[in-house]
Amino acid sequence: MSAAPTGRSLGLLVCLQCRATVRALHVAYPRCPRCYAHLHQRKPHSLGLTAALLVCAAILYIPANLLPVMYTRTIFDDEQDTIISGVLVLLHSGSWPIAVLVFIASIVVPLLKILSLSVVLFSAWRRSPRYRAQRSELFRLVEFIGRWSMLDVYAISLLVALVQIRSLAFVSVGWGALAFAAVVVLTTFAARTFDERLLWETPP
Amino acid sequence: MSSIIVCPSCDLAHRVSMAPASEGTRCARCRAPLQRPENGNIDTAIALAICALVLFFLSNAYPLVEIQASGTMRATTLVGAALGLYAQGHTGLAALVFITTVAGPFLQIGCLLYLLLPLRGAREAPFQNTVFRLLAQVRPWTFIEVFMLGVLVALVRLSAYARVIPGVALWSCVLLMFTLAALTSRTTPGQFWRWVDRNRE
Repeated sequence: MSAAPTGRSLGLLVCLQCRATVRALHVAYPRCPRCYAHLHQRKPHSLGLTAALLVCAAILYIPANLLPVMYTRTIFDDEQDTIISGVLVLLHSGSWPIAVLVFIASIVVPLLKILSLSVVLFSAWRRSPRYRAQRSELFRLVEFIGRWSMLDVYAISLLVALVQIRSLAFVSVGWGALAFAAVVVLTTFAARTFDERLLWETPP
Repeated sequence: MSSIIVCPSCDLAHRVSMAPASEGTRCARCRAPLQRPENGNIDTAIALAICALVLFFLSNAYPLVEIQASGTMRATTLVGAALGLYAQGHTGLAALVFITTVAGPFLQIGCLLYLLLPLRGAREAPFQNTVFRLLAQVRPWTFIEVFMLGVLVALVRLSAYARVIPGVALWSCVLLMFTLAALTSRTTPGQFWRWVDRNRE
């Protein structure tokens, strides 16, 4: 099959804000006639921005898992929890469904998100024509599940707000939680700066 | 009349008929949703938005949960989760929690009401396009459903040490979560601009 008609080949732009299809005019900064958003043939600097955000997220994933996310001080002892030890505490207290949930949301989802964004980014950079539909599908899935990794950050913030009985028990936040939230934010932005259309640049 | 629309996910051009699709169409190449079906009228969306606004105020006015342990009692509200982090000097983390649980939902509901109410009276709100762009920026940062699950995790961890009493805001938050989901699916950008286009014709 010869090249399929694309927006680029027909001189059409699609507004990512309101999804209107408009004729590309030869002006420096075209705007959507309907919602006045900036129009781009492709998101500007997509590959570079996504790669930079992704590298930052991958680096921060290490302290997010190694540093304590929460300190608990009671009259009996002092404890510090990392994400993994928090999951183990839940597991030992008998609530294994919650433990599995936290494990998937906090450990598996961010890792999967970083890995799949890397795969998608790499194949867009290589202009690889293989498995494009699956990679497109993967990218959309990643966008959808990414938010769930905030789960543990919320749980900790609530424990911090509730357990403040100074003489008896006191919970404070560790730097791991900040690294963790940063991974979520960075990967969310990485998914937003990535232009899916770059996966489809070369004809099969 | 048929016209051409371009897939925002893979740039493939499609020829479509102008008749509004009764069921959604997908891109022939990358399978991304191309046209979403007509989804309810503007009155339903406004009703949902008002409902969400009431639930939002309930969620913030009443305590979320209360714990009792060895004679002392402590409660927190929705915004208390962010304030607790702020009090411990984690400003960035507090800001993120505040934006995703309080500011995000409020801006989303507020922007929608601001846009939809004049549109229902066949007028356009001042700065409609700017507010719409703000709405599009805010939307991906509303994590209320994740927060609810976070509350559950926290309560399970606490239940071994303290008596946990769910507050009014917990229930209104659950309802808010469902209302927001319904509202979001009925006010997609495509649907919103369909209403605007119809108004302009």
